[in-house]
Amino acid sequence: MTGTDNQSSFLGRISIRRNQVNAMDGSHEQEIEDLDVFQKQVSDRFADLLSAPDDSPADAFLSISWIRKLLDVFLSCEAESKGMLLMGCDAAQISKSPLDRLIPEILDRVVKALDICNAVANGLELVRHCQRLAEIAVLALEQKPFGEGPARRAKKALVSLMLAMHLDDKESSVQKTTERSWSFGRRGGNKDRPPFGHYKSLSWQVAKNWSAAKQIHAMTMNVVPPRGPEASGLPSLVFIMNLIMVFVMWVLITAIPCQERNGLTTHLPIPKNVNWTQSLAGLHDKIGDEWKKKEKKGMAGLLFELQKMEKLGQSLIEFTDSFQYPGEKDKAEEAAKQVAELAEVCRRMEEGLVPLQMLTREVFHRLVKSRNEILDLLDQTAKSSSPVV
Amino acid sequence: MDKILNSEKSGSFPRFGRRRGKYELETSSFRLENVKAKEHDDDKVTGSNDILLEHGLKHDQKLEQVDQFIESLAAARDKSMSPEIPDQMEVFLKMVNSRIATYEMREASAKFGQNKVEDSLFFEALTHLSKIVKYLGEFTLDSATTGCFNRTKSILQRAMSLLETEFQALLDNSKRSCNVDSKTPKSPKQSVFDSNQHKTETEFLNFPPESIAIVKQAATAMIFAGYEAECCIAYTAVRLNALDAEFNKQGYKNFNMEDFQRMEWASQEGEIDNWTRIVKYCTKNLFPIERKLSNLIFEHSSTAQRMFCDLATSLTIKLLSFPNALLLFKQYSMEKLFKFLDIYETLCDLISGIGNDLSAKDLIHETSVTRRRIGEAAVSMFCELEDSIKNDNGRIPVANGAVHPLTRYTMNYLKYACEYKDTLEKVFRQHNETEGSTKQQPKNATDNNGESTSNTSHFATQLMLVMDLLDANIDTKSNLYRDPSLRYIFLMNNGRYMLQKVKSSNDIYEVAGDDWLRKKSSDLMQYHKNYQRETWGKVLQCMSHEGLQVNGKVSKSTLKERFKSFNAMFEEIRKTQSAWIVSDEQLKSELRVSISAVVIPAYRSFLARFGSHLNKGKQQEKYIKYQPEDIEVVIDELFEGTAASIGRRRLMHLSQ
Repeated sequence: MTGTDNQSSFLGRISIRRNQVNAMDGSHEQEIEDLDVFQKQVSDRFADLLSAPDDSPADAFLSISWIRKLLDVFLSCEAESKGMLLMGCDAAQISKSPLDRLIPEILDRVVKALDICNAVANGLELVRHCQRLAEIAVLALEQKPFGEGPARRAKKALVSLMLAMHLDDKESSVQKTTERSWSFGRRGGNKDRPPFGHYKSLSWQVAKNWSAAKQIHAMTMNVVPPRGPEASGLPSLVFIMNLIMVFVMWVLITAIPCQERNGLTTHLPIPKNVNWTQSLAGLHDKIGDEWKKKEKKGMAGLLFELQKMEKLGQSLIEFTDSFQYPGEKDKAEEAAKQVAELAEVCRRMEEGLVPLQMLTREVFHRLVKSRNEILDLLDQTAKSSSPVV
Repeated sequence: MDKILNSEKSGSFPRFGRRRGKYELETSSFRLENVKAKEHDDDKVTGSNDILLEHGLKHDQKLEQVDQFIESLAAARDKSMSPEIPDQMEVFLKMVNSRIATYEMREASAKFGQNKVEDSLFFEALTHLSKIVKYLGEFTLDSATTGCFNRTKSILQRAMSLLETEFQALLDNSKRSCNVDSKTPKSPKQSVFDSNQHKTETEFLNFPPESIAIVKQAATAMIFAGYEAECCIAYTAVRLNALDAEFNKQGYKNFNMEDFQRMEWASQEGEIDNWTRIVKYCTKNLFPIERKLSNLIFEHSSTAQRMFCDLATSLTIKLLSFPNALLLFKQYSMEKLFKFLDIYETLCDLISGIGNDLSAKDLIHETSVTRRRIGEAAVSMFCELEDSIKNDNGRIPVANGAVHPLTRYTMNYLKYACEYKDTLEKVFRQHNETEGSTKQQPKNATDNNGESTSNTSHFATQLMLVMDLLDANIDTKSNLYRDPSLRYIFLMNNGRYMLQKVKSSNDIYEVAGDDWLRKKSSDLMQYHKNYQRETWGKVLQCMSHEGLQVNGKVSKSTLKERFKSFNAMFEEIRKTQSAWIVSDEQLKSELRVSISAVVIPAYRSFLARFGSHLNKGKQQEKYIKYQPEDIEVVIDELFEGTAASIGRRRLMHLSQ
């Protein structure tokens, strides 16, 4: 019972009720009821995401298609919560504590999220670059008969792929890792050769000193569940909006290559012992654990396809490195399987990356639009509450 | 490649010259070029069979055998049997391999171009290799043939690696060499290349034409060998890095939304100018250069186009983050309008600079979205002007009926806005199209023009709406004056100011149109008449000849009354109206002329007709205070603003 289908009807229901119930008396109870319905929706949607299989190429956990689903969920939740906020907010509330603090804070947080969207768009560019390199490797590895020429061609592409994947780390450490792990087959006079297709995609659009880790840290500040009498109603709604936004941005940063992720927090202020946050907390734990495991090793991102690509790439580099014609049959069969898998990963990327890029832009534009709508609301209330001269 | 091969005949080749005649060399290149050449000279085959020179491919005869081999491969119907590999194949492969080794040892970005004949023979050999790989791949190979096949592929791979390295080095170096002049090493022979026809085309990029020729040769060879992906990745990477460097040189900074948000408007304004400059530079210079470069390097226009679009996309997405950040502010004030219109125009140029290629579809869409938002922001800013007029409800009239600051501000703003009228027209058209019929629709304009609004300019409609609002506001303000005459002076002053502004600028005149001008002029005439009536009507009544004669005799007492009230009225007018201000010189003189034309003849004739009825001396002195000349002098002093208001008037001149 999740998905975007009932989103419009959900908002429609609320607005109809709003029109029926006169703003003064019943509205608070109505608000609470709406909030319950909304929390249920959120819970359902995230539960659906949590149930994704860990290793099925089509819609695995943290795969491109999964991230797309996540962003769809985000867009739905965002639309609904913003709708509720705009309908429920009036001048009296907005200028009073705690909303007079919460609203400007969420506006600020949106701006931070926009920077993350830009960084992620960059990261997706890099993933696309990786895909192209992997495609070369596949093309070379699929050649029959497979000889040393294609082996070298594949290796070159794969080494470049590994280099590209670790662009987010400091430049120097990239050099070190690659030198250690994969020595270039040295052919005469090739010492001065720059890494193939190396480019500074990650700093392309984001300021030099920008850090994804710090950004998330800044976004989580002051995201606390409201207590006492504020625990229901609009402050709660704003909290949910904040939490979902921070969570989704956090997932994007863990999954997709991003500038400066060192020290990325794995702690998000997800309240325990609350029904609606269970699936969210489940997702958070699962991704957080994964992140902690992979963080030390240094990797491009938790994106299913990227991880797969990295693993296959490493293994195929070893294969090409030791390859001598005609090669051992077992190894060749093993490699052929891996090549097929890598080809499949490339295909998934080819299918999903552009839509994901567009979806990221959509999230960006949506956030800007919503922020403007909230600003408009503030404007109106400021106008209506200012004394008439 | 043909061009290059042909041009080589004119070169000089000392190294070859030592061993072989120049004539032979020229034939060899000719034969290499023509795969179908059938001439065969057995003597030469045996003569040079095992000689491998370090420099130069001299085995044209062997190559010929290889040519024939390729032909037979291409022609073969039955691909289930391994073809027989000619003996010369091995020699050929060794030769190419040793050539690669030589090239590899040379310095980066100077690997080719030292000897063009060598180079072209090498590239020709690579074409052979590619063809062999392609055709042999179609056969079912036995183990012997497979060995040859693999070896060919290995050598081809090594060659491609070499080409790719050089491709990148040249594309990169040439970019840098525009600062450090001629960093690329040049051999004396390169001067021959300078006459190459590519020269004029490539000069704009500061790429030496010989580098471009080599880069193109490398690209063509790579694509022919099935290494298009590598070639394209390398190209994109190098160009992106080069463009990144260029952006830095131009002073482009990546910044975060967050940092930008904290910036003051003054610094933002600077950033906007900077951004506009860079984007213009991009549209005018970088885009055409990149488009041209990709066309020069890639033979297939579809590849060239794709490469250009990829670059343009990366660049544009980067550039769009700026206006997108700007849109976050939402505190649109009228003053920001013009900067936003600058951005809007720049984005329009950017879109047309990208061209309408299919592969740029998403990019165009993305740019259009931002442009539309900027346009919407501009509309809101312009509408702020309407609000500011509506909300200007001051209760204190401007002293002495002078031009109201609101009129001045609004008209100057509109005049400035009209310099952007084409852009504003686009902005409002787009706005009206998306909004459909909402409250923004200017009602009175639609009413006036009936149904013809769809044909009239959207901006003109908006502009007229503002002018109407201003008229209405000024009209309301005029009611603040108790003296109806002053009210008309005020209306005249403001109306005249608007009229003059419209007349003085072609831009705004074109938008406002003749109808408006006629209407305004006739309004002004009416105010003028009303003023005359209000102020001078009673004065003229004093000088009426009627009612003075009683039974055919002039009544002295009535006459005295008449003179007394004339003097009083005139004195009052002199006192008050010389303090009033008419700042427009022409209007002032028009007013004086029209007053003089009515008052002076009337007074003159009144005086002539009845002055003598007063006793000479005391009585005349008492009642006839003004001679007609005095009246003229007084009229000429009206509307100057008295001493008290002179200071203010100067100030107003300054602020004009």
